[in-house]
Amino acid sequence: MSQENQQSRPQGQGRPQGRPADTGSPRISRVDASVASPVKFFFASALLWLLVSSVLAVITAVKLHLPSFLNSCEYLTFGRLDAIQRNVFFYGWASNALIGLNLWLLASLGRFEFRNGWIATLGGLIWNLALTVGIATVLIDSQNAFELLELPRGVALAFFVAFLLAALWPAVAFVRRPTGQVFVSQWYILGASFVLPVVYLLTQLMVLWCPTNGVLQALVHSWFLQNFLLLWLGASALAAVYYFLPKELETTLTGYYLSTVGFWTLFLFAGWTGPATLLGSPVPLWIQSTGVVAAVLLFIPLTITSINFFGTLSRDSGWSRAWNNTTLRFVVFGLVAYTLALALQILFSARSLNAIIRFTSFAAGQQQLLTYAFVSMVIFGAAYYILPRLTGAFWPSAKLVHLHFWSCALAVVGSVAGSLFFGWTQGAALAAAKPFAQTMHPQEALLSSACAVLFLIGHVAFALNALGMLTTCSSSTDEARQA
Amino acid sequence: MNNLNLILAGVFSTVAASFGGLLLAGHAQLGALGRAPAEEGGPLFPALEPGLAIQGRQVYLQLGCVACHTQQVRPAGQGSDIAQGWGVRPSVARDYVLQSQVALGNRRVGPDLANYGARAKSDAEIAAHLSAPAAGSAMPAFPTLFNQGKDGSLQPNERGTALIAYLKSLRQDYSSPEAKLKQ
Ligand code: HEC
Repeated sequence: MSQENQQSRPQGQGRPQGRPADTGSPRISRVDASVASPVKFFFASALLWLLVSSVLAVITAVKLHLPSFLNSCEYLTFGRLDAIQRNVFFYGWASNALIGLNLWLLASLGRFEFRNGWIATLGGLIWNLALTVGIATVLIDSQNAFELLELPRGVALAFFVAFLLAALWPAVAFVRRPTGQVFVSQWYILGASFVLPVVYLLTQLMVLWCPTNGVLQALVHSWFLQNFLLLWLGASALAAVYYFLPKELETTLTGYYLSTVGFWTLFLFAGWTGPATLLGSPVPLWIQSTGVVAAVLLFIPLTITSINFFGTLSRDSGWSRAWNNTTLRFVVFGLVAYTLALALQILFSARSLNAIIRFTSFAAGQQQLLTYAFVSMVIFGAAYYILPRLTGAFWPSAKLVHLHFWSCALAVVGSVAGSLFFGWTQGAALAAAKPFAQTMHPQEALLSSACAVLFLIGHVAFALNALGMLTTCSSSTDEARQA
Repeated sequence: MNNLNLILAGVFSTVAASFGGLLLAGHAQLGALGRAPAEEGGPLFPALEPGLAIQGRQVYLQLGCVACHTQQVRPAGQGSDIAQGWGVRPSVARDYVLQSQVALGNRRVGPDLANYGARAKSDAEIAAHLSAPAAGSAMPAFPTLFNQGKDGSLQPNERGTALIAYLKSLRQDYSSPEAKLKQ
């Protein structure tokens, strides 16, 4: 991907982005200016939701060892807050941020000035309003029994329309731009932006509008969830990695020609892996086995992304250069997590292993490895790169950047390791037919509460830094745009 | 690979393939599944749910009990659910055909409830558990499902009564064509 040596980059590039703004403001390119307002809108919304989700995560984590904490009022019961926290994290934080990130990536890769940016912003407004209404419904009324489909079906319809406006339409518009070439990041973005609305709509129809018979609902849900995690969150984050890694290391990807195969095999197999999360459930055995086969086949895209990324990192002291670059430090952390997450998913789709860990916190740990340690860390890294280019300012405080990285990195390592370890030990104890009540570890809830607090600290540090930048420098944006 | 239409068509086919191969095929197999007798002429199972239990399911969904409880018993080779006493046989697809929204669940902070009705002793015991779970349990109390009676004791209110009826209706202890109980 040698095409993006854009001349009009601000001078901040390649330097630690936490450096205070003592050397004057960086300039804003025309391409960046054309997407600035929708992208800033999505990032700011994502940031607010991230804070909400982190506070809720602290509350739910504490509730698991002190069930009477905030339990006087029914609205704050664990079952409601847990669902709200999950939806805020996935639809509020991750999806908003990825819509914004994808938009920016498309504009930069295409070097294409984005017209009608207000349509994307309108989509974003609808998205966030719908999410707010949905959360209020879960809080005071009811919810659906499926992870990430808890919000009422009317909200889902609004999500669908919003996504078309904010993500799918821009993706198609960008790739249809006059200059011909389409780069690997763009395939991933296009694929992700297409898969999510289609899968989401079909799932809503089959689970909530005209519910299919009995356990088929769970089958549809597993299909949805794997598509959402791997092909919306995962593929969008991979697009960012394919962009930032070669760009910031100023090199080409090892085995770039393989990336086509990596892309197609991921999209081909990931959609079939849903039933691998239903092993032992009352769905037909052949469907479960199909899921397992698909999960094992994920080994192919995993190998290719590993060659692409780790091959590139092992050349020319790539690892240490990545470590000293704010964006790449987060991105490479995410990459390692992605590799681990996929490897675990492949390994634990084996029936005998899955029987032990299914329904324990192990699965929650696996999910967090993918959605936080990979997807969210990549988003953070990207934000450190993009926001200065949109606002024409530097990150106000390098200390806060460090605080953000270290607290989130520690928290996610602790939390994932805890879930995996305690999930496995609980599963093993259950398999040895120990009574359920004796298999629970009180330390687990303590550890996850501590990690939730650490997450909150990291996110507040990030938010302070970002809000500082977004608010102080909005005036210089206009000057820069005219320059 | 510069052709946009090719990418979109390709991605579309991958979605269509998994949709058709998993969901439509699954639907063809299970879409019309209904109640059936274990033996010719026997009673139809699963039994129809009492109206109160149907209301109770709404309370169960509302309060998000699914965050901590599953309702599925895996077969003996796949986990120790039966050894834990959560069921007498594995759950089968037919057990769920009457439920407008299934709550199979994905996480067990608490025990599986698929066959809870068969092991629950009395309404009073369930009510006591919901109003004041055992000390040290991760399960929260649900005071809003109860009213204070004249003698100071807690009586389940309308929603509480419905939820208790629902919990008692959770049974998978009958023979079905796919899962016969051993005599
Ligand atoms: C925070 C997680 C959590 C939530 C939410 C939760 N439970 Fe529980 N539940 C548990 C745990 C842990 C146990 C086992 C310990 C105990 O008996 O107190 C349990 C036990 C039970 C039992 C007894 C099961 C048995 O085999 O004896 C029933 C019945 C039950 N819960 C029903 C419910 C209902 C109904 C709701 C929703 C209104 C609910 N639970 C919400 C964690 C939870």
